[in-house]
Amino acid sequence: MNKMTKLFVLCALTLSVNVLVSINVSATTFTFTAIPDADESQLRTRFEKVALYLEKKLGVEVKYVPVKSYSAAVTAFKNNQVQLAWFGGLSGVQARRLVPGSKAIAQGYEDQFFKSYFIAHYSTGLAMSENFPDITQKTFTFGSKGSTSGRLMPQYYIEQHLKEKPQQAFKRVGFSGDHSRTIAQVQAGAYQVGAVNYTVWESALAAGKIDTNKVKVIWETPVYPDYQWTIRADVDAKFGKHFADKVQTALLNMDSPELLKSFPRSSFVKAENKDFQPVEDVAKQIGLID
Amino acid sequence: MSQLQQVKNTHYPLGYWQKVTLSILLIALIILPFADIEIVNFDPFLELTRMVDGLMTPDFFATEYLFQAIIQTVNFAILGVCLGLILGTPLALIYQHPIISGCCAFLRAIHEIFWALLFLQIFGLSPLTGILAITIPFAATFARVFHDIINQSSDSPLESIDSRADIISRFTYGKIAQVMPQLMAYTRYRFECALRSSAVLGFIGMPTLGFYMETAFRQGHYSEGAALLIIFIALIGTIRYWCPPKLLGVYLVIACVTLIDIPNVDSSLLVRFISQDILPSALANASRLAEVQWSSLYTWFSTLISEQAIPGALATITLALLALAVSHIVTLNAHAMASKHLWPTPLTWLGQLILLIGRSVPEYILAFIFLMLLGPSMLPAVIALAIHNGCVIAYLTVKQSNSIAPQQMQMSKLNQFNYHIMPSIYPNMMALMFYRFEIIVRETAVFGILGIMTLGFYIDSNFSEIRYSNALVLITCTALLNVAIDILSRRLLKLPKTSQTSC
Repeated sequence: MNKMTKLFVLCALTLSVNVLVSINVSATTFTFTAIPDADESQLRTRFEKVALYLEKKLGVEVKYVPVKSYSAAVTAFKNNQVQLAWFGGLSGVQARRLVPGSKAIAQGYEDQFFKSYFIAHYSTGLAMSENFPDITQKTFTFGSKGSTSGRLMPQYYIEQHLKEKPQQAFKRVGFSGDHSRTIAQVQAGAYQVGAVNYTVWESALAAGKIDTNKVKVIWETPVYPDYQWTIRADVDAKFGKHFADKVQTALLNMDSPELLKSFPRSSFVKAENKDFQPVEDVAKQIGLID
Repeated sequence: MSQLQQVKNTHYPLGYWQKVTLSILLIALIILPFADIEIVNFDPFLELTRMVDGLMTPDFFATEYLFQAIIQTVNFAILGVCLGLILGTPLALIYQHPIISGCCAFLRAIHEIFWALLFLQIFGLSPLTGILAITIPFAATFARVFHDIINQSSDSPLESIDSRADIISRFTYGKIAQVMPQLMAYTRYRFECALRSSAVLGFIGMPTLGFYMETAFRQGHYSEGAALLIIFIALIGTIRYWCPPKLLGVYLVIACVTLIDIPNVDSSLLVRFISQDILPSALANASRLAEVQWSSLYTWFSTLISEQAIPGALATITLALLALAVSHIVTLNAHAMASKHLWPTPLTWLGQLILLIGRSVPEYILAFIFLMLLGPSMLPAVIALAIHNGCVIAYLTVKQSNSIAPQQMQMSKLNQFNYHIMPSIYPNMMALMFYRFEIIVRETAVFGILGIMTLGFYIDSNFSEIRYSNALVLITCTALLNVAIDILSRRLLKLPKTSQTSC
């Protein structure tokens, strides 16, 4: 009897859970993903609101798929598991090389002139300067390996100024995996110098998470293009004529502060593939892509 | 008097296990000067205070879709173990064949994360990716351990079976029947491992607890991270209450039903992956064999081997050997901490809790905490590996030592422990240690944050640079390294034939 009750309860639970969990993905669902560069908490809840917005504007079912890393986003895009993605500069270039015909359609207003900060622990004695700081033989941490602002651009400027690969120029090179980790590690003195996305630094500063007596900005890179929306070439065939244009319009018209905060950008502006040529050139030069 | 003098002056030769132990420690001492170890520490306290604050105030409501994440963590583990059993058990029967055991060692050597990264290219973020990433290495492990267990069983029941009985009945009733409890116990233990693997797969995007845990720790949301860790530890610590073997069938059904939908597998992706993505550019760009630029292929391969594979392998071995020595020390202490032969029962519960925490917290998170304390070098990695693996081995040996009856002799507890309990479990403890060495080698993969360039670090880099051909070559190198270590340790060591547990 006892066992039967248990079984019964379990079956009931199963059914209810099933209703809760199952998400039907029909063939005509338009799926997108986004790489967040700052706050990742409540990611799905926030981006599902973006999905709802797009659904209203586009008239098709829209789904958001969460990803963990730049390379996972590129893979999903390559495999047509997402048709639209909010990529970083480098990951966008990688994705468009893998999917011929795909194009960048919009970027954040801030992404037209993005920059990275080099930050240092106070014990290094380094201070803010216009010129590239003397950081040879220090310990240095990048952010994620696939990040444009946390890895690609900083590495390019390091190689430009120090004329060496980071592995040779520094005493130790780490990859913190994330901009907020980079800040935490340099602030704790675990690494002496690091490179971060400037928006993450500014928002951590505003949130009171940074003790400027311990860690400060010592150099900023020249500006470069970064995050952008990229769409696959085959969406028009699948979702109807001019679908890509409709998506572009929907993105450019997104003006709700609540939605924009998820990215976080003040607005979206038009973008084209050739805007990101500098990123591709740099990536080739430092050997990240062939 | 003179007799006593004589006894005192007699030199006993070192026993086998003393020699083995001393060599592990000696090897570690010899490579220590070459290892990349230093302590840089300025002011870790700001971040550490935040961590402690977070631990004190766990926030169980910060995580979205928490219930789903727990369900999926369990689902992946259950399905992974079941499929692993289905594939691994038949292999156990033919494991003595060197090709089979070689292949299994090869498959085991590849970290679940890398299996998942490979399957990600073919199945995408589908549950299949996670389940297969657990199934394959687990099947290979089951094959090895079940083979060992069956081999150690006695042949005498076979003699009492009617000789006219068919071979399957003879094998089932004569061999399997007597080791069934061990097989069950081992499967239960592997289920715990599968839960851990399932969580770790969240680090690369599977919708399990690890997905949110990694984000929370990476972004410094320690209250959320602490809550997730507590849930995860509780989940592992209470397996025997919520998943008794009887209910396994029920859970399997639940798992199949509640699994998030598996999208259709697109066979063109598999074709593309094999025929294009994993080929080095020199091969992928050539349409015919004649067009292949052999010289550029050779340059590609030799650069990869000399710049990544060899330095990576050296770092991996150095780190693994140091971690082995420190794991040994941690194991001895952790075992003593939770042994009922030394402490009254309530204190052993405390010890068990410490072992549970030590083996449940993912190494990645341990490494991050020690990175904050000690600065980046091999040291945080060694400590993280040692704590995790030491606690796993101690957990298994405590199970064994607690079942040993104390001798009825006038002996202090400490003497009893040192001269009766330890000698009887030591061979098994060392056997576990060497099983575990294989796992240490592949776990060295996760320490890129420390700036330690192990093989795993390079594999991860190549995945993030979308260079699958390079990643595949390095994965093969890792696997071959593991096979070599496996063969070497079997040759050099006379591991006890009577080992009861494995990990």
